[in-house]
Amino acid sequence: MVSYLARTLVQLAITLVGIVTVVFFLMRAIPGDPALYMLGDFATEASVEALRARLGLDLPVYQQYLLFMQRALTGDLGQSVVTGQPALREILSALPWSLSLAVTGLMIAVALGVPLGILSAIRQGTWVDVTIMLVALIGISFPVFWVGLVAILLLSHQAGLFPALGAATGGGFFTQIHHLMLPALVLGLSVAAYIARLTRSAMLEVLGQDYIRVARAMGVRENRIFFRLALRNAFIPILAVIGVTFAWALGNAILVEVVFSRPGLGSTVLKAILARDYQLVQAGVLVLATGIVLVNLTLDILYGVIDPRMRTGS
Amino acid sequence: MDQAATDLRKTEDQRPGPGRTKPVLELRNLVTQLPGEDGPLTIVNDVSLKVLAGETLSVVGESGSGKTMTFLSAIGLVPKPGRVVAGEVLLDGADLLKLTPDEMRETRGTGISMVFQDPLTGLNPVFTIGEQIAEVLRAHGSVSRTEARETAIGLLERVHIPDPGRRVDDYPHQLSGGMRQRVLIAMAIALEPRVLIADEPTTALDVTVQAQVLELLAELRQDFGMAMVLITHDLGLVARHADRVAVMYGGRVVEYGSAEAVFEHTAHPYTVSLFESVPSLDAETSDDLRTIEGQPPDPASLPAGCAFEPRCFFGQGREECKTILPKRATASMADHRTACHFYAELDTKRSCA
Amino acid sequence: MSQIEAVSTQNASMRDPEAARRRRRAAIRRYTGHPAFVIGTLILAAMFIVAAGAQWIAPNSPVQTNMALILAEPSWTYPLGTDQFGRCVLSRLIHGAQISLQVGFWVVLISLTFGTLIGAVAGFVGGWMERIIVALIDTMLAFPGFLLALALVAAQGSSLTSVITAVAIAYTPRVATVMRSVVLTIRPRPFIEASRAIGLSSTRILLSHVIPNALPPVIVVATVSAATAILAEAGLSFLGLGVQPPTPTWGSVIADGQTVITNRPLISLAAGMCIAITVIGLNLLGDGLRDTLDPQMRRQTGAKML
Repeated sequence: MVSYLARTLVQLAITLVGIVTVVFFLMRAIPGDPALYMLGDFATEASVEALRARLGLDLPVYQQYLLFMQRALTGDLGQSVVTGQPALREILSALPWSLSLAVTGLMIAVALGVPLGILSAIRQGTWVDVTIMLVALIGISFPVFWVGLVAILLLSHQAGLFPALGAATGGGFFTQIHHLMLPALVLGLSVAAYIARLTRSAMLEVLGQDYIRVARAMGVRENRIFFRLALRNAFIPILAVIGVTFAWALGNAILVEVVFSRPGLGSTVLKAILARDYQLVQAGVLVLATGIVLVNLTLDILYGVIDPRMRTGS
Repeated sequence: MDQAATDLRKTEDQRPGPGRTKPVLELRNLVTQLPGEDGPLTIVNDVSLKVLAGETLSVVGESGSGKTMTFLSAIGLVPKPGRVVAGEVLLDGADLLKLTPDEMRETRGTGISMVFQDPLTGLNPVFTIGEQIAEVLRAHGSVSRTEARETAIGLLERVHIPDPGRRVDDYPHQLSGGMRQRVLIAMAIALEPRVLIADEPTTALDVTVQAQVLELLAELRQDFGMAMVLITHDLGLVARHADRVAVMYGGRVVEYGSAEAVFEHTAHPYTVSLFESVPSLDAETSDDLRTIEGQPPDPASLPAGCAFEPRCFFGQGREECKTILPKRATASMADHRTACHFYAELDTKRSCA
Repeated sequence: MSQIEAVSTQNASMRDPEAARRRRRAAIRRYTGHPAFVIGTLILAAMFIVAAGAQWIAPNSPVQTNMALILAEPSWTYPLGTDQFGRCVLSRLIHGAQISLQVGFWVVLISLTFGTLIGAVAGFVGGWMERIIVALIDTMLAFPGFLLALALVAAQGSSLTSVITAVAIAYTPRVATVMRSVVLTIRPRPFIEASRAIGLSSTRILLSHVIPNALPPVIVVATVSAATAILAEAGLSFLGLGVQPPTPTWGSVIADGQTVITNRPLISLAAGMCIAITVIGLNLLGDGLRDTLDPQMRRQTGAKML
């Protein structure tokens, strides 16, 4: 287990350095002069030069890279060109809004998707399975922002059940929860559809294994086979599914935040893109990617706990 | 048909040993089908077999001959969408096919149990072997955790796993292939079933381990007075372990009888071909190794006559073979049956050769 | 396995023309008898016809504004009414199919070509090469695909080409992971050993044995990534970062409709249906292909493609 943890941590360090590198080159992928791009068409020669110097763009590429890496690892992601605030602080202040949305959405998705996927697998080929899979297929095929619009139209405008827009940033806890519910539900439903499909195939995969047939040949009850023997095996792929969908949910949270006019990472990054505030975009992308890597790390450790083959080494 | 006849002749069975009169497991005219593109495919075709207490029945044949499917049918585990469409599976005289699904489940493990080919995939990787044995015990009665553990240790000891008190908490990946097959055998015999079906139990194992596992099976059969079915395509094993042999081809039993009868008075050309495809130690050159030309029959297009006819070295071209399905006939001695029109000629030919 | 086994598995039946014909018939029936495959194919064929014949099918110009006809109710000349600039909504949707299908097609082509190659090399060559590629892919996978596409489009400016490149770059690592895991299952198979034994070069084996054998899962991946690409493009367009106006795209029609959603919900609803129907078609086709082409690969695609 210790060596497994050590390996995972080394992997983490490599991936983090990789992320910083990718973001650095993403910056460099902008055709032309980033300083000019950031300042827009009306920039003066002097202001462009000043910005170039501040961003270190006058240095050779490898020096820029090392400087960028050094700063990134110490948490210095530059300043927002628009507000002048440290980019990292801007992003971190937006993070709780996105996290609460993504985590609530994911919880709804897991609570719906995993049981439905398991049910579908157990009842493979029956109308229960067909219905669940049809609904899930429709669920993954509608764009999430469109589902958000329709939800606002029906549940806010028509039924008046939820507030349509905003997050009640200044409101009390329960007002904020009330504002969170609809966007989280929209995000959760679309992710639930993915989770249901992937859980079903993970479960079917396990149910086709030899050891399930062995258990049947020894007279073990079907319920016992499904909910004890097969489920513990299916946990590992299901966890992997949840890990992948978490990244996906954060990506889609951008669209949900825009539709519901909620503050958060997504809307911050989008605003930054439109304002050509590239330092902020960069910081947002870095923070999101790091968050996803940390989630995957947690899952990797969980696999180790669940799967004895990793725990005891073989 | 000849069922009644063989019933009468049962008393004539002169083989020694106790309790050989009544079959523990008997298949009567079993038919299993899978839905195919053009109507159902018959995978198990009118199979009748008997296994007596304390005896080993070896079922041999190429892969696809229906031997595994026959016994999956017997324990009610035909993979969907296949199903048993006709026949009887009698365990101590009671027809298992008439049981409710839960009664059938209850019978598996206690009345009839099965060990499969691949021990590496047969154990659940995320449970200790003790937990997996306990799962079998719990399926057939309530047992406490400590009771189950003690029974599991006893069973591991019974299948000669060294240091069972420690091994009981091991996960499958910590055991070798041979050890895992022993664990699977321990699970299968945990409730002392009347019949143990071993489906190529040693194919996936090393040669040295193979012998040990088979010895273990023989020992358990003796001690428990179990009836055993050994599905295999290793004729060497058959010669060493079988009391009775059933040769399957194209979903049918083409020859059935005591090991002595089948080996000494082979009465079906397919069996002859099987024997000739085994390399013998005294074979001077590799030329002595004959292989069976051609393909096993396609269940989607079985011929009207004998399924083996296209590959038969012996009946080649005779009209009866092509058009008439051979009936089971009694060959050299009582309880030795063959499904060949010309088995009588075969016997002479073989002794001439 | 014993001799009996080995001998009987010779491919004698390959030479039997009757058996071959039967197998071919069975294969065709496997596809035509699979409702998901059939419906998916029909939907995509219909979408393709609509996109290809847009200029003849569309009742009006998709870009012609008409300030006298703002937010018109559905009528015979404007079956889905007009938007806030007086443009025919149906015509915009019909022409919008062109952008979505183009994005789907090119993203699949680009990400499959590179993803397949990268994944195949990683899985087949192994060693340090594989480690580096896997580390790179893992890094790329840490970025949500949509966010990566968003950032790339922001960097490159909004045009059809940059949308296609951005989405393709974002999803290539996902194709590469699938491809690598498929190749890892192919690598130990006997025919690869045999090819090495008779002295074929690695490149030769990769191109003529590994990749062709990995094609069934790759085809399934293609349909899944086309669906993802179309959804990503719609998202970018919705945010105003996709192909720029006045070119009609489904995502931008939804965005235009959003501002008038309370009194003209039909505009956004219809555009969303267009996206959903196309994506459902692709997903059905993907599910159908997955079931019919190679039942073993079920677990390899899917999760990694999000």
